[in-house]
Amino acid sequence: MTGRPTPTDPPESPGRRQFLEQAAGLGFSVLLAGSAGLNACQSSASIAHIKGGMIGANHQTGHLLRYPEKLPQPTQTRETDVLIVGGGIAGLSARRWLWQQGKRDVLLVELSGQLGGNSVGGQNTVSAYPWGAHYLPIPDPRNRELVDFLKECHAITGFDANALPVYNDYYLCHDPEERLFINGHWQEGLVPDVGISDDDRQQISRFFKLVEELKQAKGSDGRDAFAIPLDRSSTDIIYRQLDGISFETYLNQHQFTSPYLRWFLEYGCKDDYGTTLANTSAWAGLHYFASRKGVAANAGANSVLTWPEGNSFLVKQLEQQAQSAIESNKLVFGIQENAEGVRVTCYDVLKKETVAIQARTVLLATPQFITQNLLKNRVASGFQYAPWLVANLTVSVLPQSRGMPLCWDNVIYNSASVGYVTATHQHLNASDQKVITVYWPLVQEPPDVARRKAYETTYATWLSRLVAELETAHPGVTEYISAADCWVWGHGMIAPTPGFIWEESRRNAARSVNNKLFFAHSDLSGISIFEEAFYQGIRAATEILAQIPSA
Amino acid sequence: MSNPENRHRHLLLLLSVFVIATCGLIYELVAGTLASYLLGDSVTQFSTIIGVYLFSMGIGSWLSKYLDGNLLKWFIRIEILVGLVGGCSAPLLFVLFEYAASFRLVLYTLVSLTGILVGLEIPLLMRILENQLTFKDLVSRVFTFDYIGALLASLIFPLVLVPYLGLIRTSLFFGLLNIAVAGFLLHQFADTKPYRRSLVSILALSSLLLLSGFVYAERIMTYTENLTFQDKVIYSKSTSYQRIVLTANPRELRLFLNGNLQFSSADEYRYHEALVHPALQALPKANRVLVLGGGDGLAVREILKYPQIQSVTLVDLDAGMTDLFRQNDLLVKLNNRSLHSSKVRIINTDAYNFVRQDTARYDLIVVDFPDPSNYSIGKLYSTAFYRELNRLMRPGGLAVVQSTSPYIARQSFWCIRNTIAASGFQTIPYHAYIPSFGEWGYVLLLRNQHWRGDGPLPAGLRFINARTIHDMLNFPPDMAEVPTEINKLNNQVLVHYFEDDWTPYAH
Repeated sequence: MTGRPTPTDPPESPGRRQFLEQAAGLGFSVLLAGSAGLNACQSSASIAHIKGGMIGANHQTGHLLRYPEKLPQPTQTRETDVLIVGGGIAGLSARRWLWQQGKRDVLLVELSGQLGGNSVGGQNTVSAYPWGAHYLPIPDPRNRELVDFLKECHAITGFDANALPVYNDYYLCHDPEERLFINGHWQEGLVPDVGISDDDRQQISRFFKLVEELKQAKGSDGRDAFAIPLDRSSTDIIYRQLDGISFETYLNQHQFTSPYLRWFLEYGCKDDYGTTLANTSAWAGLHYFASRKGVAANAGANSVLTWPEGNSFLVKQLEQQAQSAIESNKLVFGIQENAEGVRVTCYDVLKKETVAIQARTVLLATPQFITQNLLKNRVASGFQYAPWLVANLTVSVLPQSRGMPLCWDNVIYNSASVGYVTATHQHLNASDQKVITVYWPLVQEPPDVARRKAYETTYATWLSRLVAELETAHPGVTEYISAADCWVWGHGMIAPTPGFIWEESRRNAARSVNNKLFFAHSDLSGISIFEEAFYQGIRAATEILAQIPSA
Repeated sequence: MSNPENRHRHLLLLLSVFVIATCGLIYELVAGTLASYLLGDSVTQFSTIIGVYLFSMGIGSWLSKYLDGNLLKWFIRIEILVGLVGGCSAPLLFVLFEYAASFRLVLYTLVSLTGILVGLEIPLLMRILENQLTFKDLVSRVFTFDYIGALLASLIFPLVLVPYLGLIRTSLFFGLLNIAVAGFLLHQFADTKPYRRSLVSILALSSLLLLSGFVYAERIMTYTENLTFQDKVIYSKSTSYQRIVLTANPRELRLFLNGNLQFSSADEYRYHEALVHPALQALPKANRVLVLGGGDGLAVREILKYPQIQSVTLVDLDAGMTDLFRQNDLLVKLNNRSLHSSKVRIINTDAYNFVRQDTARYDLIVVDFPDPSNYSIGKLYSTAFYRELNRLMRPGGLAVVQSTSPYIARQSFWCIRNTIAASGFQTIPYHAYIPSFGEWGYVLLLRNQHWRGDGPLPAGLRFINARTIHDMLNFPPDMAEVPTEINKLNNQVLVHYFEDDWTPYAH
């Protein structure tokens, strides 16, 4: 969920690092010096001054689904041509596609009060900030649908003489992008560099050479070995068989033993999939690195687009690019096929009443753990979801340890979280007040155990864990945190466990039922990224359009 | 006449002479140095400080005859007092400099007090030792140790203490030494037993005070960065955005933001004339001007010399700056009341946000930001920023950007020029010599228009005329154009060039 590493960046010259230290030091030395003597007794400093609490997806409302018989009977019936259930990226993408293809009689219902699924964002007096997905790598130009969407968002402002897209400067992640706190020092970039051995360095460079080869590789069918959307990847068994083993096994087989390299790769798995090396498919682990093929007139291949509010910027754009109806706070709890199509019962969480919606077709843009509760006789086997904690903290000072100054993405080596992103990074004005978004995949235990514990964990406990995590790299930061809100994502991301991407259950779950029920969600791709959700929405919308030619 | 125990005793006391002599001279040097730092004119300061100090030592010596009874006890007490007063002298003076109404009174009081206490030490010690040595031995040994201590102090003070410890820590450290002498004597001499207990607690408290001062010396310095400045600080204030310090000497006022010189009143006219006139002399019909940065009102002063200018919008982040230059008499005189002009509208907001939201159009935009020394400021030198300027310029309008030193920061200067050129402008780079800065660079921004340097200039300029403008366009080989990358939000190369350029000058 945090930034994507950019292994191809040249190493730092010592001069630059030194200078930046001095520059950063200026601001912080005063405070550091001032509090140095106090640190010892403040490491478990009081957190009582920090305001905030648990917010986020109301899993209680979601759990109403388990007892649909307790919900009231419908008092009225409405009609629509297409009903989209779920206002995340996939649902909104389908709605936009239908609208753009002339399908206007569409109603989208969303359970929560806010659109976006796990791309929602928040706002306080200092900044907007993300609660989940928060960036989009610049796409492969062959991903035409996504390029067109970005043009409509003004994220692509034009094309240069070589037909390379020109990206909006305000949306490209500003420099400096990434740093890693390792061996007591903030280094630039996330690939460990400070204090590692020659052997580690050599393995790291061998791995990235391999990635470069895989980026170029094509299968016997002429398709890219690793593509986004991943359904466009080669079917060549040479590559697909990698899905059958874990990334850990793959690394063992290829003698990638360096603890620094393995930390970095596990960081990648946790960051994008919420999984460890051992329970990530090797195909998915490699896809993380080998699928990014973006090019731009004004940015490097590893550039990303980001906004203070994260991907809720893209949510708003998707929403605005279609006019069909959207209704929030609507819990769908019953779906029945009938002669005219599908009858859906829908509970209005605010008004506490139920309406029936008669649709010709229904698109379930919901994750499969929800879908299986909505449809009888449907089991989403193999679908595992990683639980996450996301926290937004407002800080006035981040006491700086040695090295690179604050970046967009800031990662602490060998820590439990995957670091924090500075929401205020894309701001154009300089301000001491910052909002940082901490991302924490809960991978220590099996997902169902971790999920249950996460729901039971109190705000005070989360806060003390967050503070302890930040204090390791920012000693004394606690007193400068004025607010902290936490959000538990019980089912944060689909986990691409070994075998999940290219075995049957994923594709079976995406198959439409009786030309009436259609399915779209990033979990049907097996990896939880914007591009896949966007693609799934378009795929399902295209299937719907093929079934019901517009009147 | 001396038994071994007595011998031990007077050796210890002579060792104390050595230490207290070192301490005594250090306090004198600290006070002298501090006075010359803070008040300037080192000859006068050192001379008067030494005079007052020695005179006070005389008073101390005279007073010593009134001390009777347990002399060792008196001596130990005085050591603690010297340690406290002398040790705290530097931090106290630093802190009080900005807050005390009459700093000189505080300074000389403290110097006198230290002098008196130090003056008590030697006579007391001699009296303690008088029965153990012959008079000639006593005098010879005491003064030998006294003068050796003084020599040591005078050598280590400039060579070791000031460079490595700084004044505040030096003074606190020697305070601790005085207290250590007291503790040592208390411990070594059996006859101190009756009053040991009470003195030990005072001793511990005093050491704690000095030690904590030693640990927090940096924080004390932040109240008192006067050391940074050669001249007298006549105004200092921390706003939400920066630390503003104004210093004065008989020749000039100097303004520092976060320790960086912004201008000297002696030659700022060169900087501001060069910033404004090459553009405005070419715009006889200009009437709306936007100034970004430049809260000192000095660029506005130059702009208002053109009667055709109807409105000047000044955008500066820091109300602390614009208020200071509206209210301080010296500064209001310097900017010729420009910020009180009815034509001038002051907006205290972030410049980048302002240009993105502003809907007005201007004949001239003057961009006078700080140098691109960090990533936040670097954004104000990006292609994205210059494209916003393009939108705000009227047809036929111009903009000018202060562009750091083409001599010292050659890559940075040409990177700014090349970035502007890559943002859709033609550019005219030029430079001027500002004695307090060195060679300074500017870039003029044009769009498909001709520019000439021989237009009408207001009367009374001291630096700019047609000939100066012509000369400013020439870049000698040591400042000539170098190829650079373009500064964009997503690469911030300018910050890196700037750091490269300045690294050789950083020490």
